[in-house]
Amino acid sequence: MKRKLLIIGTMLALSPLLYSFCGFYVSKADGTLKNKTSQVILVRDGNHTVITMYNDYKGDVKDFAMVVPVPVVLRKDDIHVVDQSIFQRLNDYSAPRLVEYWDENPCSVYTEKDKMFSPKADLATGYNKSGRGAILNEMMGVKIEAKYLVGEYDILILSAKESGGLKEWLTTNGYKIPAGAEEVLDPYIKSNLKFFVVKVNEAEKKKLPGDFLRPLQISFNSPKFMLPIRLGMANADGDQDLVVYAFTRKGRIECTNYRNVEIPTGKNIPLFVQKNFGVFYGNLFDNQWKKEDKSVGFLEYAWDVSPQNFYHCDPCIATAPSEQDLVQSGVWWLKGKDWTDYTDVDNDEPDNENKNVHFTRLHFRYNRNSFPQDLMFQVTPNTETFQARYIITHPATGSFTCDAGKKYIHELKTRRKNELADLTALTGRNMDTWQDDARSVNDEEQVKDAQYASLMPQVKEEMERRPDYPVGLVLMSVVILGSAGLLRWKGFI
Amino acid sequence: MPALVFRDARYFQVSFQFIFLAYGILYLHWNAQWWLYATYFGSSLLTQFSCEIIFHTHRTGSASWWKGLRKGIPSALISSFGLSLLLKTNNWHIAALAAMISIVSKYIIRLNGKHVFNPSALGIVAVLFFTDQAWISPGQWGSGIVMLFAVLSLGFIVVTRVQKLDISLAFLGTFGLLLFARQVIYLGWPLDFFIQSISTGSLLLFSFFMITDPKTTPNHAWARIIWAVAIAAVSFYMATFRFINGAPIWILVLAQPLVPVLDKLFPAKTFQWGTGKELRQEEQWFIQSVYTHSVM
Repeated sequence: MKRKLLIIGTMLALSPLLYSFCGFYVSKADGTLKNKTSQVILVRDGNHTVITMYNDYKGDVKDFAMVVPVPVVLRKDDIHVVDQSIFQRLNDYSAPRLVEYWDENPCSVYTEKDKMFSPKADLATGYNKSGRGAILNEMMGVKIEAKYLVGEYDILILSAKESGGLKEWLTTNGYKIPAGAEEVLDPYIKSNLKFFVVKVNEAEKKKLPGDFLRPLQISFNSPKFMLPIRLGMANADGDQDLVVYAFTRKGRIECTNYRNVEIPTGKNIPLFVQKNFGVFYGNLFDNQWKKEDKSVGFLEYAWDVSPQNFYHCDPCIATAPSEQDLVQSGVWWLKGKDWTDYTDVDNDEPDNENKNVHFTRLHFRYNRNSFPQDLMFQVTPNTETFQARYIITHPATGSFTCDAGKKYIHELKTRRKNELADLTALTGRNMDTWQDDARSVNDEEQVKDAQYASLMPQVKEEMERRPDYPVGLVLMSVVILGSAGLLRWKGFI
Repeated sequence: MPALVFRDARYFQVSFQFIFLAYGILYLHWNAQWWLYATYFGSSLLTQFSCEIIFHTHRTGSASWWKGLRKGIPSALISSFGLSLLLKTNNWHIAALAAMISIVSKYIIRLNGKHVFNPSALGIVAVLFFTDQAWISPGQWGSGIVMLFAVLSLGFIVVTRVQKLDISLAFLGTFGLLLFARQVIYLGWPLDFFIQSISTGSLLLFSFFMITDPKTTPNHAWARIIWAVAIAAVSFYMATFRFINGAPIWILVLAQPLVPVLDKLFPAKTFQWGTGKELRQEEQWFIQSVYTHSVM
């Protein structure tokens, strides 16, 4: 079948909305807090790590508090606040994408169609209000290692001798500890981790425009390359989503204590999915996550995004992160190249230094049962590119009375049946779920025979008739046994 | 009678490795890189044949020459599967290099009629250390409990055939005990934290398929056990306190030069592949029951 790429489009609304960091929120009020989707930027090279945590806290800022275990006592220079729009840009850019193709009418002469780009990223974000100071105290084996004011945040770095003391300290100082958090605090204390405790400084917050909390960025040296998710599970109901945007010099990052799976990509899906691509991807992710037995991290994007490399995706659904965006995300090895920053007098890094930046986007959905351990990562030299990409194809228009046209309609029917079967396989949803969407596709005056809605019953029937047992596996076993027998017969083994 | 099914225990190993690779690709949805596997197998077999021609002086075309050539095939297959299961790279020449190092090491690094290094482990460690273009993925197997049983049963059969179950148990037992002491007793993590660590497919595969290679383990039973315990203890330290990924493989390769020393201190009969050790009545019965009751 002749097909021609005319348009590369569009958008993603990643399942629902993207939110919050995976540390744990200790509420000062009695209200229950929920953190559903966290976003984190990880930058790693050698033993140096920069972690940026997106903040989507939705309650009263006065009550906001966050605890993150860190391997060392951070200096004030190691803590920054960054512009929260960076997360939006990274998400838009690396999110799963939909590609559109247009069929050519085999009965008509070739006509060039308009090219158009329609990136529509419609992610919403939630923010919150006002602030409040921190309280100091030293007792119960809890030591305040450092105390800083960074941006609108009051920050304490605590070390503790035992979890009971830490818990008591937090309670005495007006923090509410979520049930179950203590089981996690103890191992952290014994692993010699420090606790990065964050609250909002109300006076500083008032000086700033807007009513949101900016992301916090911390950097430190440690051979451990990990994300503490266990604390975040303490007060989260059910499953939590975590999107990790990672930048390294060498290549992809991967999780070392959970499986890494590439999300199915490059699939042809029915045209009507375009309307609800976000819902489609949400269903797909949910289904794949269940199929992979839940304890996995999904790869959604991997590419070399070095400023000197101009080819970052295919298709690109948003503007690539600029060099400044990358520096803001914590990619410190690009700093020397930031021409706009005249204040940086230490800008004497040699030009031939490795300025590569590899971007990995991993998507986790975790809960207490499937993820008993924190996420451990490694940087690999894997530079293979990857993107979650789904293809829709518009049918040709015109009349199909010529022989080639009739053949085209026949092929279109077969293709669409496959698309429908794939849609069901990918999302695990019954065909009926899509009935209304299918009916509402109204660009098919010319291809009446091949309308999705009319093909659905056929596909459904075919899929029911299809045997359940894995034919491939049985065939493979027969081949193996056969060849083993042959070798044995010939006396080779 | 199972002993008759395969004359050479190495074919068991090949079959199981094949099953693992198929499991990874079909069920764990690895990003199957056929060109990589093809490179490993092609280079291994080619190197094996070349080495056989270069290092063995039999007349080309003679019966013993063909025999020698054929005898090396399973060993090259085991190495190729070992590399396919563990080592990842984006470059075919790195893959070829790893395969070549594996095979050539068997011919040139020899002491007392045994090769010193486990071929695939050496190939892996060499390219990891010298090239910075390859990596191993400790998380690729996940920690599925079904996998645990499968690996145990499959591995059990292999080691039963080659009589080295002692080394697997000594390694896994020591490593597990140390992990348990550290994670559960000292740090106070819940039990499922520990279970996830110990049921990692990579660790189990190492215990049953890598460290057990009879050609690169001490001959004497006690020496073997001491050796395995030492590897477990050092690996535990490197993994827990030095955050080394794939620590056991590194330690295994570093420890292998000690094997000739241990063999000298604890003399015993050298293991021979495929010579069909006479089995006692109980052993035959045992192996037979393993077959009839295992997941296979």
